[in-house]
Amino acid sequence: MTAPAVAREPSLARDLIALTKPRIISLLLLTTLAPMFVAGTPSWSVILWTGIGGYLMAGGANAVNMYLDQDIDHKMARTKLRPIPSGRLSARAVIAFGIAIATAATWLLGHFVNVLTAALALAGFYFYVFVYTRWLKRTTPQNIVLGGAAGAFPPLVGWAAVTGRVDLASIYLFLIIFYWTPPHFWALALLKQHDYGKAGVPMAPNIWGEHETIDQMLWYTVLLIALSVLPVTFGVFGLPYLLAALVLGGILLRGVWRIRVLAARGESWIPVAWKVYKYSLLYLALLFVAMAVDRHL
Amino acid sequence: MSVALTPLLWLALALVVVSQIKILQSTVRAMRGADAASARRSIEWAYAIVPAVALVIALAATVQAARQHGVRQEMEARANQVAPQ
Repeated sequence: MTAPAVAREPSLARDLIALTKPRIISLLLLTTLAPMFVAGTPSWSVILWTGIGGYLMAGGANAVNMYLDQDIDHKMARTKLRPIPSGRLSARAVIAFGIAIATAATWLLGHFVNVLTAALALAGFYFYVFVYTRWLKRTTPQNIVLGGAAGAFPPLVGWAAVTGRVDLASIYLFLIIFYWTPPHFWALALLKQHDYGKAGVPMAPNIWGEHETIDQMLWYTVLLIALSVLPVTFGVFGLPYLLAALVLGGILLRGVWRIRVLAARGESWIPVAWKVYKYSLLYLALLFVAMAVDRHL
Repeated sequence: MSVALTPLLWLALALVVVSQIKILQSTVRAMRGADAASARRSIEWAYAIVPAVALVIALAATVQAARQHGVRQEMEARANQVAPQ
């Protein structure tokens, strides 16, 4: 009787952690914490509470997302092993957990950081749950374009935690993530077209076709690189960041261009799309690290 | 704004504008190809326009901020020239 109970406890803990999508949150946390060092020199307590609050808020949003997507998660290979479709957790437990940790995050951020930080984090939660998951995700191939705003809230949260306000520099960090989202997600959507088709999610490659999707990935990448250098012109960053933004952006652009060339020739672009998807994660992480480093050189 | 930053500003702005226009053109082509109903097309068009309008506002604020930054830099340079005397 003891053995299964012992085996079950860590499994529940693992499932609860899985509901928060920790791998995705690690990038969200980086894009929350790095802007704090761009905005100023935050105290350890502000870093700690913003990090904990940010994790719980994003984790809560991800858990609620799994509750709302339970009807399609079992149809996709990528999501069918999640706690609800695999029957390890009930839907009610998942929604309760998601709301509870998001509520805790709001209180922690409001109490230990500031009210604006809590309000921005909560706005990100609502945007992800209601605007992206409930409204856009299943209705438009531009779902991840506008939905990208949900993932772009973390820099605003980090910035507000240090300065108590939102200004043009922080809006640029928001825009960088907003315009990074299409090339990043469409690289994955190109690879998982069959899965999204089965689940009835109207991703751009399924609705517009590969050619238009790849074309837009290319232009979004050019737009992203141009936006990423603009903060240099009004004194937020210096030459080290400018060089990092151009080199990192150039590598991303080269990858997307390669997909376009291979697709035009009718050759397989799948391995390159995988590389672009993975590199786009590294790109965003390194770009935000470069921002923080540049400000403290 | 310093002489070196002016071309960077205008080059980046031009790339942003050209990219956004290309994205809108591609969205129009994609909507025609997707054979959507006209009501659906209007909504899709609105989804494409909203970020473009927000971007124009951000770019206008950027030009203003870059000019202010330039004025500050100029004043600092003049102050540095005067200070040693």
